[in-house]
Amino acid sequence: MIVVVTAAAVPGYLHPQNQINLLELSIEKAIVALALSFVIVSGEIDLSIASVMGLAAVLVAWLRQQGVPVEVGIVAALAAGTLCGLFNGYWVAIVGLPSLAVTLAGLIGYRGVALLLVEDRSIGGFPDWFNRLGQQPLVGPFPLALIVFAALVVIATVLLQFSGFGRYVYVVGSSREVARFSGVRVPRVKMAVFAMSGLTAAFSGVLLAARLGAVRGSTAEGFELDIITMVLLGGVSIFGGSGSMAGVILSILVILNLRNGLALANATGNTQAGVIGALLILSVLVPNLIAAARARAVRSARVEAGRRSLPSAK
Amino acid sequence: MRIQHGAALSLLAISALVIAACGGPAAAPSATVSATASATQAASPSAAGVAKATPGQSVKMMLLPKFLGILPFTQANKGATEAEAELKNGTTHAFVGPTADNSVQGQIEFMTNASTQGYKVVMISNNAGDQIAPAAQAAQAAGVKIVAWDSPIPSAKGESLFVAQVDFNETGKVMADMALNLMGAGGGKFAILSASPDAANQNAWIKALNDALKDPKYAKLQLVDTVYGNDQSEKSYTQAQALVAKYPDLKVIMAPTTVGIAAAAKAMQDGKLCDKVKVSGLGLPSEMVSYTLNGCAPQFALWSFVDLGYLTYYASYLLATGAIKGADGEQFEAGRMGTFKITKDPTRSDGLRVLMGPFKLYDKNNVEAEAK
Repeated sequence: MIVVVTAAAVPGYLHPQNQINLLELSIEKAIVALALSFVIVSGEIDLSIASVMGLAAVLVAWLRQQGVPVEVGIVAALAAGTLCGLFNGYWVAIVGLPSLAVTLAGLIGYRGVALLLVEDRSIGGFPDWFNRLGQQPLVGPFPLALIVFAALVVIATVLLQFSGFGRYVYVVGSSREVARFSGVRVPRVKMAVFAMSGLTAAFSGVLLAARLGAVRGSTAEGFELDIITMVLLGGVSIFGGSGSMAGVILSILVILNLRNGLALANATGNTQAGVIGALLILSVLVPNLIAAARARAVRSARVEAGRRSLPSAK
Repeated sequence: MRIQHGAALSLLAISALVIAACGGPAAAPSATVSATASATQAASPSAAGVAKATPGQSVKMMLLPKFLGILPFTQANKGATEAEAELKNGTTHAFVGPTADNSVQGQIEFMTNASTQGYKVVMISNNAGDQIAPAAQAAQAAGVKIVAWDSPIPSAKGESLFVAQVDFNETGKVMADMALNLMGAGGGKFAILSASPDAANQNAWIKALNDALKDPKYAKLQLVDTVYGNDQSEKSYTQAQALVAKYPDLKVIMAPTTVGIAAAAKAMQDGKLCDKVKVSGLGLPSEMVSYTLNGCAPQFALWSFVDLGYLTYYASYLLATGAIKGADGEQFEAGRMGTFKITKDPTRSDGLRVLMGPFKLYDKNNVEAEAK
């Protein structure tokens, strides 16, 4: 519906280049949303994703400044992201602390490290091949990040919906106890989803650095809320155990198209944020209202049935 | 006008999109450029002629400041609006921008969307350093003219022209002179409170200041630190406090940004430090008047942002209508401000510049008259 309305309203919206533009402008967030879906389905949350993105981007830039080749810097950044994820996972899965608190600490801590490394500076001057990967089309009109996103969509869908690991994630998310008694190694599953989240966030951070061509300590600051919105709007329950990858992918497309439509109509950033916020509330509210209405209907039907059965019981 | 106020409900906003489309004419951009083919407008820079604008053409233009919500940019928009009325442009320009905390990403997004939206010119005060260059180059390739004002694209990649408020090297000398005035012949320690680390104009001025300081005249001035307040009042305020705490014998805070200088002056005033630490830099008289009169910021400088917006609009209109090509040596007339010349930018390794000027120094003698 959004696509149709916007296409009618804004000339040039359906142009293929615009569709590529709108994906490219937020592609890093979309990629992380795929990994975060696993965390949320497993009944946890990872607030540290944007800070891990920033830290990874900063690491590549900072290491380059210290004379380390960018190739090595990328590997180091990915390793650091995975470590951040494992660190989060350790406190949540092994020690049993709430993920909200652990990853909130991560949000602050990892960002802190990034800021320590570059202070207030803006570091650029990456080699050309690195910038080109982020800024120029690789195959046809599609830049690398878009191709990676497409591949990850397939991998994430298969992993969550059609693999044993995916089923474990759902079971862990619906009930930890049930999962434990049915022989699922809950800590191991949780460690895995957090490590995935960290690795993907770091990878996205590197992509972001390549697209922007320069990095600051505040790179990717505040992205976590957009990414969580993408997942929740896709129908993944914040309590874990339900939701689907198809929903998340659809929600990513809806949000990006909506934002782009609003931007093309010159709505300010605040308006865009307001609209997406309202949409999120609706997306949580409507299913709950429907569920409540249905429950009420069932209850009154039961009462009705009980009343009808009364005379015969007399 | 469009849908700025429809923030409350998503459904409302979506339906507002339809209305916006009906209300906003989608300008027929391709027709506008060819309409310039009048004989007098044959834009040949070698003819030593001064290009003049042909009013009444329709050019869809975007004025993109670093972010919305501070006075200098609003003043620039006032100047652009004034020029627009004179040139009778059939399409009202858009004055849009990101929020201050999303400036880099936001500017890239506006730049990326510009050609889809049918803009013929983006007038940008660049806050994204060279990070904006890929998007600007893509827009240029799609036929959009990119005119920088206030803050250029450092590499000049993707930029047709830069309308410079003042000579960037001169800014360094002006700041060095003000620091010398405030500290006296004895000299002492001073620090810079800048905008954001990606701001090309501030970075160029800081570099120019460092170069100027090599002059033996300023030998006793010791620049001890450069910090960034990101053009946010609160952050600038705490950064100014932090500077004083870190350097107890600091004598001057030099802030080459209107947000930073006002915040630093307030921080010194609130901390009752104005006898020890003076604030100077680039500021707006209306925001600085009380600090200048109470001695916290005895001297500062600036130029007219209204004129800058006006001149930028003229240059952009001339460029988009083909009256000038954006080449070294071309001259053009910009309404009430007179004739200007496009030259190579001596303060960057690449790029073309139109120099506005002049600097205006403010102190207790003239600040009240300007503040009105």
